[in-house]
Amino acid sequence: MAERTSGAPLAFESPVVTAPPEPTKAALRLADASAVTKLVVRSDQPQFDVGFGASVEVDDALVCGSRPGEWLILGSAAACAAAAEQVDRSGFTSIIDLTHGRALFRITGDDAPRALEKVCSLDWSDTMTPDGAVTSASVARVSCDVLRHDVAEAAHGTGVGPDRGEPAARRRSYLIACDRSFGQYLFDALADAADEFR
Amino acid sequence: MTPPHRRLPPQSGESIDRNAPVSFRWNGKRLSAVRGDTIASALTANGVRVVSRSMKYHRPRGYLTADYWDPNGMVQVGDEPNVRSGHRLVADGMDVSAQNVWPSLEHDVKAANGLVGRFLTAGFYYKTFMRPRRLWPMFERVLATFAPGGTVDLDTPHRYHDKRYAHPDVVVAGGGPAGMAAALAAAEAGAQVMLVEHETALGGHLRWGDAADHSRVNELADALAAAGVEVLCDATVTGRYDDNWIAINQRSHPLATERLIKARAKVLVVAAGLIERPYVFAGNDKPGVMTAGAVRRLVNGYRVAPGERAVVLSANAHGDVAAADLDAAGIEVAAVIDARNGANLVAAHGSATTVEAAELADGTRVDADLVVTAVGWTAPTSLLNMAGDRPVYDPVAARFFPDAPPDNVLVCGGLAGDGSLDELVDHAAATGRLAAERAAAVAHRIQARTARAAAVDGEEPAWPADDRGPLGRDEHPALFRSTTHGMVDFSEDVGSKDLVAAAAEGYDSVELLKRFTTATMGPAQGKLETVNTVAVLAEARGETIAEVGTTVWRPPFAPISLGALAGRVFEPVRVSSIQPWHEANGAVPIVAGQWIRPEHYGDPAAEVTNTRANVGIIDVTPLGKLDLRGPDVGALLNQLYINKWSKLAVGAVRYGVMCTEDGVVFDDGVTGRIADDHYVMTTTSSGAGAVWEWAENWLQTGGHDWNVHVTPVTTAYTSINVAGPRSRELMGRLTDVDLASDAFGYMQVRTGTVAGVADCFMWRIGFTGELSFEIHVPSGHGLHVWNALLDAGADLGIAPFGLEAQRIMRLEKGHFIVGQDTDGLTRVPTTGLSGLVKLDKDDFVGKPEMAWAMESGAAPDPVLVAIQPVDPAEVPAEASQIVVDGTNEILGRITSSRLSPTLGRSICLGHVASSHAAAGTELTVVVPDGRRVRARVMEHHAHFDPEGERLRG
Repeated sequence: MAERTSGAPLAFESPVVTAPPEPTKAALRLADASAVTKLVVRSDQPQFDVGFGASVEVDDALVCGSRPGEWLILGSAAACAAAAEQVDRSGFTSIIDLTHGRALFRITGDDAPRALEKVCSLDWSDTMTPDGAVTSASVARVSCDVLRHDVAEAAHGTGVGPDRGEPAARRRSYLIACDRSFGQYLFDALADAADEFR
Repeated sequence: MTPPHRRLPPQSGESIDRNAPVSFRWNGKRLSAVRGDTIASALTANGVRVVSRSMKYHRPRGYLTADYWDPNGMVQVGDEPNVRSGHRLVADGMDVSAQNVWPSLEHDVKAANGLVGRFLTAGFYYKTFMRPRRLWPMFERVLATFAPGGTVDLDTPHRYHDKRYAHPDVVVAGGGPAGMAAALAAAEAGAQVMLVEHETALGGHLRWGDAADHSRVNELADALAAAGVEVLCDATVTGRYDDNWIAINQRSHPLATERLIKARAKVLVVAAGLIERPYVFAGNDKPGVMTAGAVRRLVNGYRVAPGERAVVLSANAHGDVAAADLDAAGIEVAAVIDARNGANLVAAHGSATTVEAAELADGTRVDADLVVTAVGWTAPTSLLNMAGDRPVYDPVAARFFPDAPPDNVLVCGGLAGDGSLDELVDHAAATGRLAAERAAAVAHRIQARTARAAAVDGEEPAWPADDRGPLGRDEHPALFRSTTHGMVDFSEDVGSKDLVAAAAEGYDSVELLKRFTTATMGPAQGKLETVNTVAVLAEARGETIAEVGTTVWRPPFAPISLGALAGRVFEPVRVSSIQPWHEANGAVPIVAGQWIRPEHYGDPAAEVTNTRANVGIIDVTPLGKLDLRGPDVGALLNQLYINKWSKLAVGAVRYGVMCTEDGVVFDDGVTGRIADDHYVMTTTSSGAGAVWEWAENWLQTGGHDWNVHVTPVTTAYTSINVAGPRSRELMGRLTDVDLASDAFGYMQVRTGTVAGVADCFMWRIGFTGELSFEIHVPSGHGLHVWNALLDAGADLGIAPFGLEAQRIMRLEKGHFIVGQDTDGLTRVPTTGLSGLVKLDKDDFVGKPEMAWAMESGAAPDPVLVAIQPVDPAEVPAEASQIVVDGTNEILGRITSSRLSPTLGRSICLGHVASSHAAAGTELTVVVPDGRRVRARVMEHHAHFDPEGERLRG
């Protein structure tokens, strides 16, 4: 993570400059999580015992099998760094910090699948996209990584680790990552899709 | 405003709410109705019998079916043309008018067409307006004034059209009793079900039935809700495509005018019911001639009297019930003509605007203002056709039946056969259960093959067999055309005489006949006309309907608006982290691919001048950037670029050109070596995605054993070019990197901190031709660094510059842009960069082609050269042709041109034939206004600082 070498740390500038829409009912909440640290691991070795399409929590970091031979680690900077320490580097492996290169949004609520149905062609049912599922998809015509990661309604911060809340309190939630430059556009598209359910 | 005088007394199960009055306008006159009325029922309640004029002859028309398919019911509602008044519910304040009439519906001048109707037979246009061909534009203008339809108001605000994807287990098309029963059974068997009903409420024909029918509908509807079935009324399954990709047009969404649902159903159940066919006989298009279904709909559903004295031609129980309904409503039934006993109807007589009597086959005339026909059904097999089925005609039942739909398409209801209501519902329920079982098998297969899906339980179940008992088929008289001729296609004004004449002319294949006469091609899309058309043709050919066959029904099932097809418009745009600053500081935006970039901040020439004199900064974030890691990056670079990369030192940057296999220039940029196994490549902004795919392609083919990871990082870094003679001084105030020319020379890369932001990298390159530092900072701090540069450079005359100033400066410097100064045929020798090509490399993309071109000894042709017009004020437009003097023989073209603020004259780059590429050669350039201007080939590509002293400073 880049930060000021002296003095107070620099604030992370999100690609989203408009305020997230206020939920008028608890059915749906859209949040900008772009500041979450994002490490991309590429390796010819199995990592974290999780494959393409699934995710696993490694301490306070969330490790997603984003593509064959590729993992996306999400969490606080410290949690991601700790997870990166556990990467098996016995093969050809690289780790890149893409925190600044990806926008990340979280959409939470029972109606989240119905909102996503308006911008993405995937099947969001529990069998096809269960909690923990990871996939790539076109969302409002932007290439995205999408992760189902249910969280408690009161979850804040990264939503990973302690932030996630107790399992019984969790609600449907999806993390959507895209190239940073599309961030504002995609956020607006998601807000528009969600508007029907707020 | 008088109350509707045709409204019948209340009746249990009626579709209207008498306590909710509605006021609307019809052709400017205020009328009243109640909530639940369609426009058709509201007009009928007010005694309106003529609601439109026919397309060709402008004959007065009244309601025929009084539903969605009514060919006579198209009206204008406000600014919306072609509204189906038999379907659209009337609303308070609605402004309804007849369309395509002048000056009025009652007195339509174009009705004169009817006087020459005998000459306007099928094929009239084709035959009449073919010659002389030079007059076609005039014919076209005149004919356009006869085009049917309503008026489109181009100023109408765009309405919100939505789009949605869905993955139900089962889609049931049709919400009649069979469709409801199938949906319910499927849901109760565990399937997720979407039930789509074309009309505004569930129930199908039971809506117009008795109390028992209504009770049945209500029970089913309640059960559907309890079972969690998603019910979409006023929605149409418009198409079935491969693998059960189902298109649904939902008109009833509370927020959107229309919503196109793209459903991937595991099983489709088609329960589309049956559509009643009109009867062909003389005068069958007079207002007052209706189908039995229309009568039952109006009398029982909306409680309006369509006439006072009726004659009913009945060939089935449906007609008998209609006669009984009329009688129960107090409408006199003057005669019931029972076609099952051989009786027949041959003509409807009366004025142009209303029927007054019916003529029977025995010559009897019966006075009546309402002639009702119940002669049989069209099976709407459209969705089955789309699934590949070819329905088969059954002469006993006098209608078509499905043949062999695919396994994931099931049929129930009247489309599948006949029976009592209980028999049809039982069959439909069995269909629903089968659909659920098959959907479960499909779901198991999909789930097992999808990486992200939950784990499946057990083996894939065997494909459920169809053990439903077949429905019966009732015998029905084959009644299509009487002994007289009449209208077949009411939408297109095509009569049975037209069809017979066309067949006699040789258009005796049903597909040819359809296209020649336009029968079945109107808004009803054959739902009312197809079978009658086929029957008339069969009669003309002396063959059976089965022998003639039918046309193929294709999507859409019902017409769909372009707005619905377009749906929500997703047009992704990309912006850099500095975009808020650009917007706040007057940047004029330009769209470059998906990127929104500042073209300039008011005065691009001043931006050039300032950068050449002081220091300027430009946001170049869209520049493509790829992070390359691994021990074999050098091998990859050697493969992709035409020049050598094996010995690029850590800290060095090199320019490279990429070609495709045929040696055509594909992209260019610089690549710097950050560490032993870590490089960063830049590409053109527009080529970033393609170069990434190109690199991955080669890694997975020719370089499959190389260890290289390529990661796009274009927007992970905000890129800022700091250019100008004072750029070093400015950068020195913000970075810990040693900027001295001997420590950080031209074409070098360094990493360090800029404005307090760590993990930046920068390199010294010079696209503008100035001393410049291209800095790449983590994007989450890009705006911070931009502001820091502006603050720190305030006393140095810093100013931002946009894309236009950059283009001017690069042209002054003679740097070409791939795609602007090259095209799909440009090979490296044309660009003057042959010196970069290293044919002694083992291999690189395009090497064979390049070797052939270079070793042949032939001069490159054309050649990219710098050009200056003789008149310094003359700026030839880009793409202006360069020609041989005195002729139009093309020698080349101007690829880039600008007025240089630095040189005070026009400057260009261009392609010219090698014969005219020598320095000093005078050229003739044809500018867009036709003038020929003189220009001269320059010695160097660079118009400014050809030695590069400024950028190497």
